[in-house]
Amino acid sequence: MRYVKISKANTYKFLERLKAKGTLYAPTKISEKFYDFREVNDVKAVQFDYNRTIRPPRRFFYPARETMFTFDTTKVELYENVPEDETIILFGVHSCDIVGLRIVDSEFIDENPDPYYKKRRESGIIIGLSCLPDEYCFCNVRRVDFVDAGFDLFFHELPDGFLVRVGTVTGHKLIDPNMDIFGEITQEDVDYMTAFNEKRGEMFPIQGNWDDLRYFLELRRDHPMYARESEKCLGCGNCTLTCPTCRCYDVKDIPSIDGMTGERVRVWDSCQFRSHGLVAGPHNFRPTKESRFENRYMCKNAYNKDTTTAYCVGCGRCTYFCPADINFRKNLMEIGGYKEAV
Amino acid sequence: MAIIEECGDICRPKIGVYALTSCYGCQLKLATVQKIMEIVQAVEIESFYMISSASRMGSDVDVAFVEGSVSTEKDLEELKEIREHSRILVALGACAVNGGVQSWAEGDKDYKKLYAEVYGEGKITMQGRQATPVSDHVKVDYFLPGCPPEEDELMYFISAFLFGTFPEPKDYPVCAECRLAGNSCILIEKGEPCLGPVTTAGCKARCLSHNVPCIGCRGPVPHGTAWFDSLAKLFKEKGFDRDYIRDRMKIFGAHDENLEPMLDKIFGGSK
Repeated sequence: MRYVKISKANTYKFLERLKAKGTLYAPTKISEKFYDFREVNDVKAVQFDYNRTIRPPRRFFYPARETMFTFDTTKVELYENVPEDETIILFGVHSCDIVGLRIVDSEFIDENPDPYYKKRRESGIIIGLSCLPDEYCFCNVRRVDFVDAGFDLFFHELPDGFLVRVGTVTGHKLIDPNMDIFGEITQEDVDYMTAFNEKRGEMFPIQGNWDDLRYFLELRRDHPMYARESEKCLGCGNCTLTCPTCRCYDVKDIPSIDGMTGERVRVWDSCQFRSHGLVAGPHNFRPTKESRFENRYMCKNAYNKDTTTAYCVGCGRCTYFCPADINFRKNLMEIGGYKEAV
Repeated sequence: MAIIEECGDICRPKIGVYALTSCYGCQLKLATVQKIMEIVQAVEIESFYMISSASRMGSDVDVAFVEGSVSTEKDLEELKEIREHSRILVALGACAVNGGVQSWAEGDKDYKKLYAEVYGEGKITMQGRQATPVSDHVKVDYFLPGCPPEEDELMYFISAFLFGTFPEPKDYPVCAECRLAGNSCILIEKGEPCLGPVTTAGCKARCLSHNVPCIGCRGPVPHGTAWFDSLAKLFKEKGFDRDYIRDRMKIFGAHDENLEPMLDKIFGGSK
């Protein structure tokens, strides 16, 4: 792997140059406490110190609503709506979100390749950014606090600037023509990165790993936590819609007023909604709020036999953005029997 | 329910738009949708007083859109007549679907007293009744909520009937659309009394996108999935009192059967 460094002032120059390569999105402050990935107009508005965005990065490659094709029933034809050629550049993606995208890949590229997702994802550029955890973070116990794949460049904080890991050929191509603003790293930079990671590791609210959590969840399906906590649940779907790894969608046909043509759209769904488990009949295989609530706990932690990591990456969004203050991490700890760090 | 199949190419489905007690805002919305000219060409309008003086009651229609709540004896008679003459009946807007703001006094005030307070000794020819949703009196095939309903939903409903299929109702709350709209959450961030978590989606979080907390105009999420108890508990923790919470939830949800029992669960006993 190649390593270079860049000063904070030159980082802004680099961001400006990135804008010429595609549509650049980066963390932006949208209200007093919240951040969101937004298109960058003024590079000075890019936030380097943020914990989590309200909307997950998957939305750039797997939009919340997209028209897959339009159809004409009189001609019995459909017209595929292939995504436009556009390079989506995400700057400032934390390691949890990078793994989140790889989890979405496992479903939309590795399993049954989805042409819409695949096209956007393969032409996309991911630039990672180091971070310090708050009390909602637990990516460390999910073993995704440090990524070694899934990014083109990864920016690690230095006192004035960043140490940059180059992850892919695309990453090299972003660095090579810009060596006027990148430089070589020094031993001092490596020492800083070591100290930074050590400090970071100690800051997580919980230590160790949750590799055995899946089994505890399976063994404790009737745990009283589910009834107690789902009672508070509003069923609003915030937890799943802000989640960087949720992949459930609904497909709908929207007819036009001519009565002959229409479009087929794919929209994000949530397992917290009644209609998610509704099938013909009308039967519902998750008829209660509690059963829908439990499904998310199981899906995020126990339905991941084909990936090496849980579908939960410990980003803390489902807790931070829960209006009902339901604490996913603490509830999982109760089931797994894990202790808080002292 | 498919209309087009029986109609084929030769006839156009007959539509009626009727108003009970309401502000007429729903039919104004329908009359002013961008594609109104395409609608009037695709269907035959039997009754729609706002756009046609040839409108009349009592003719057979394929789809009847009824706005307004049943608030007078005359409303009730008209509604029953409309039902008899329509194959599909759609409750249009907050008043028809949930009884509207005029149902606010439901369960709180004696109707006769209230009527006397408002109208006094004045000579009123109509015979009033406690405002109620259309579905309390006749079978309703589809519900299209909103105050007024959204243009895309009006188009979706009419298009679906023309296509020979049926409109799929929304059974999830405004929160979902608010997240997708990229808003911050003012319930979490500012502790605003937002009814988004219990209100039917479809507005794409219109008010929230202007930092105005949801007042619930689209009515409680159907199928008993409006969790008034969880939200009331949350509001209580944020310092709102029982009367405030109850009043706010009642504005557009007075007739929801779960409202009072769920509030009792949080505050204990009935008021």
